[in-house]
Amino acid sequence: MASVLASAHPQETVYGQVGDATVPLRFSSLDEEYKVLRERAAVLDLGGHGLIEITGPDAVAFAQRVLARDVEYLTSDRCMMTLLLDADGQVVDQVLAFGREDGILLESSCGAGARLLAHLRANNDEGVEIADRSGDLTVLGLEGPYAWGVVGRLIDGELASLPFESVVDTTWNGADIVFARTGFTGEYGYQMIVPIEHAADLWRQSLEHAQAAGQEALELAMLEVRQPIPRHEVTEGATVVEIGANWLVDVTKDEFVGREAVLAAFEAGGGRRTVGFSGGDGVPAPGTRVWVNGQDIGEVVHAVHSVGLGATLGLARVDHDLAAAGLELTVGGTEVTTLTSPYIVPKSWSIPII
Amino acid sequence: MALRPVVVTGLGIICAAGRDPAEFWQRLTTGQGGLTPVEDEAFAVFTARHAGQVPDEWITGQLPGSDAALDRTARLALVAARQAVEMAGLTASGVGAERFGIILGKCQATPDAAGRYQPMHRTQDVVAERLGLRGPRILVSTACAAGGNAVGLAKDKILTGEADAVLAGGVDPLLFGTYAGFAGLQALSTGPCRPYSHSDGLNLGEGAAFLLLEPLELALARGAVPLAEVAGYGLSADAYHATAPDPTGRGGASAVRRALADAGLTPGDVQYVSGHGTGTPANDAMEAKVMRLVFGERAGQVPTSSIKSFVGHTLGAAGAVEAVASVLALRHATAPPTIGFDEDGQGRAGDLDFVPNVARPMPIGTVVSNNYAFGGNNVSLVLTTPGEPRPYEELPRREAVITGLGPVTGAGTGVAELTEAVLAGRHGAGWAPSLEGRTFAPRSLWRHMNHLSRLAIAASRLAWEDAGLKLPRKDLDDVALIFATGAGSAESTGGFDESIAVNPNKPAVLSFSNVVLNATGGAVCQTLGLRGPTTTICNGGASASIALDCALELIRSGKAEVVLVVAADETTGTAALDTDDLPVPSPYDSGAGGAVRGSAAVAFVVESAEHCAARDGRPYAVVLDTGHASGHAGSDADADADAVARSIARVSGGASGPVAGLVVGAADGTAGDGAEAAAVLAGAPGARLTASTALAGDCQAASGALNIALAALAVRDGVAPALTGLAAPRAGDLAAYVTKPGLDGPVERALALTAAPGSVRGAVLLGAL
Repeated sequence: MASVLASAHPQETVYGQVGDATVPLRFSSLDEEYKVLRERAAVLDLGGHGLIEITGPDAVAFAQRVLARDVEYLTSDRCMMTLLLDADGQVVDQVLAFGREDGILLESSCGAGARLLAHLRANNDEGVEIADRSGDLTVLGLEGPYAWGVVGRLIDGELASLPFESVVDTTWNGADIVFARTGFTGEYGYQMIVPIEHAADLWRQSLEHAQAAGQEALELAMLEVRQPIPRHEVTEGATVVEIGANWLVDVTKDEFVGREAVLAAFEAGGGRRTVGFSGGDGVPAPGTRVWVNGQDIGEVVHAVHSVGLGATLGLARVDHDLAAAGLELTVGGTEVTTLTSPYIVPKSWSIPII
Repeated sequence: MALRPVVVTGLGIICAAGRDPAEFWQRLTTGQGGLTPVEDEAFAVFTARHAGQVPDEWITGQLPGSDAALDRTARLALVAARQAVEMAGLTASGVGAERFGIILGKCQATPDAAGRYQPMHRTQDVVAERLGLRGPRILVSTACAAGGNAVGLAKDKILTGEADAVLAGGVDPLLFGTYAGFAGLQALSTGPCRPYSHSDGLNLGEGAAFLLLEPLELALARGAVPLAEVAGYGLSADAYHATAPDPTGRGGASAVRRALADAGLTPGDVQYVSGHGTGTPANDAMEAKVMRLVFGERAGQVPTSSIKSFVGHTLGAAGAVEAVASVLALRHATAPPTIGFDEDGQGRAGDLDFVPNVARPMPIGTVVSNNYAFGGNNVSLVLTTPGEPRPYEELPRREAVITGLGPVTGAGTGVAELTEAVLAGRHGAGWAPSLEGRTFAPRSLWRHMNHLSRLAIAASRLAWEDAGLKLPRKDLDDVALIFATGAGSAESTGGFDESIAVNPNKPAVLSFSNVVLNATGGAVCQTLGLRGPTTTICNGGASASIALDCALELIRSGKAEVVLVVAADETTGTAALDTDDLPVPSPYDSGAGGAVRGSAAVAFVVESAEHCAARDGRPYAVVLDTGHASGHAGSDADADADAVARSIARVSGGASGPVAGLVVGAADGTAGDGAEAAAVLAGAPGARLTASTALAGDCQAASGALNIALAALAVRDGVAPALTGLAAPRAGDLAAYVTKPGLDGPVERALALTAAPGSVRGAVLLGAL
């Protein structure tokens, strides 16, 4: 599925296939887009995120059963990030759930819309309405230490300082949009869910106040603050505890799909845990073995070159008692050091919204 | 529609920057602040030492010897109250005691002369008694917004025609525990506070301030000088956080916008804004946003200053202190400065005008005075240069109905369980209400809530669901919430006090944020997403009916179509007892063994009849009338019976014939029951009398709300609790009481009574549709 904004992107845009979506990986260069995101404000084409609307009298009950966090009282001015699990506790997707007046709207992770839709339909015991809205709505993001200033110039200054995960239904150029304070990278972050016919205009006007950044810069900045990227981090058989996504699950909820498996993983202890590392030569491929004192303790999950660190940055999934910061490990024959997150301190943490 | 103009004719103030209005204004305009290191050595344990203290001789020098034995809170209040009455040239005998009210804002539960906590409304009762005021009496406790809120509520009492003069103000002393709490929150500045520039924390202060309000035409008729017109006021709830303000400033902006709308003015009419200006980074940053949101491009041209830079944060008094300053600013055409202002300060919002350091003479015809409080309660007052007398319309009468009930009591949770308990004649006095079996709030919020907030949230959710209200987000922005409580959270107050006793530098800060009486109301707003007008009433057992009055006033003035009233109080006394060991109180019985304290929350939805009809709602009852009568503190049973009789007379309108078929009284199983019963039998002949305390115990404000809820049930569903243990009534025959569960059918009218004995008695008359 191509981005609805493709015609508005510059000619030199480099696209890539992420799951079911063709997304802009970069518009210019990774270094430049990363710097924009970390130092100023970036506009993101999040068209690869599927939008699925759940309505009907049992919409909330259904959502409460399939989502791993408590959404019973998720009002139309709030959103939250959570997981959908299968009965074995395996991650199906990581979504942003938006409370709506008549149900709930789910935003999938990049390229996972079709899988999410299929999962929801397969689990629809309540007979709710499940509608794929990706054909008429798309998502634009703003991210960066001065993204709040862009919001003020583009839409309304009042929205810039919305509390995290607050949602406002508003209008832009006469179009109804859903505006949310979110954030993937530790910087000030916002999302706008807009009708596709207005998306190109909003994209172009955003570019008057900010620069575009592609999926590569976004995912790098996400990794640097340990924001989970399911397409890299969800591996066959890994539990949410091993992935380090426990915070996206609420086991105090009485019931949700996958709860028993999550509880079993909590209770079992042991297994592996995910930890960040930096150093070494080159970027190890996923699956590269991780050693300590000649012992194989796990594998690399995902690694990239971090522009911010000027070094390799990756995640390793290793024996739980070795998933700690400050350890020297061997990855693909070179020495790396484990880290505590965030691996980069976002500039937004020291910049107030005025 | 122009409503009756209400003006200020008297001012009184005592605070760190002056012992009376003249001295206060002289110091404000010459930049002489009053923030000094605390003299009391007990405060030496804290790093931050500055506060706004009132020298003892300023108090003793203005009070007769007969007031010397009173506690400091009462003495501060009396000084300011007497000044205001004197400046206005008014006496209770002149205006008529029954027409002269007092609305007091107070944030803290304050100690009596012996150091023990006294009821929130006690200070108010003392002032009323000494000044001979027997009109409307409301204790409003919206934390740091209370003083401003009181002025607004006082205006309402004049608009409804219940009073011809009202003393409105606020008071709070400097208390060690509160100081420790703010220190624990890292909210205190180590030097004199510097709002809007350094913004490194606040200083606490003490003081009292009163404004005397009366209708313009009455003031002129008696030759008084109107000092300012109370043109409007606005309340709002952030629905965001227990202590931090909504960072967008939308809560504060909404209060200003409502106040301007109430006044029939626009932002373009405002010349000066008296800011809340505590000096904390969160407050000051939020306020700058309020200025920009409300005034847009003109924000920099509207001077705004904080007189907290002179007097510190006087909590419940602050709004009244600043209202006094605002009236003086209007009178003298001068904006008081923000002193200690660092023009190069890092935190300064460079685009705004904070009247730095030097008072500014300027034409001022309209002032907005803002206050923001813990619990996310905001208030704005609009004060204007008094206009000429002009024709006005009475506040319209709009029919209001009760459409949803949410009882959370020892006898049952929800209408169905309560009804079942009533019909089965069960008793639950002293039993802990059950919240098992379902959730009432997002778990992420619920787990941080104290017990009282959980009770209140459950009650509110149940009432909301019972009313069948399904409102879109934008409508919730106008749903009002009135919280009623006698004493707030016993759990948080106790937990906080214990932590201070152990180590004042390690206060239980989470408990501290819940010590303010309005915290629970704020938690309800946050959980249900209600951002309409909100306030908190603390008149003991009479709080719920006074809260209903506030709800009716909001509906009558068109400020809200839907108001949720929730009352909650708790006891920690019976928690440890096995329920089987609890005595069952026997109200009205001459052999009754006394009261049993309980915990409960009871909510009810009040809606304009119009709104209810438009959505095809099914009301329980229409609110026919409410009436309150003030008693005498420490008075005898006869005086109390007299207050009951007067409150009933107010709702019956003196009409002959049966007032109501059923009366749900406030009896609790103590000797005072007889006086109430006698007054009811005389005032509502033919009615059958019952009470709720056998069902749920004495739950203070929640008992009053339960009585109203039971009256509503009797009207619609023909259900009423029985006094099954009643053998020998203290007054009248057994036949005058409901002694068997159930009624013969719905009653046409039911009367609910509420009681803060020795202070206020309330009566609420409900009728069938």
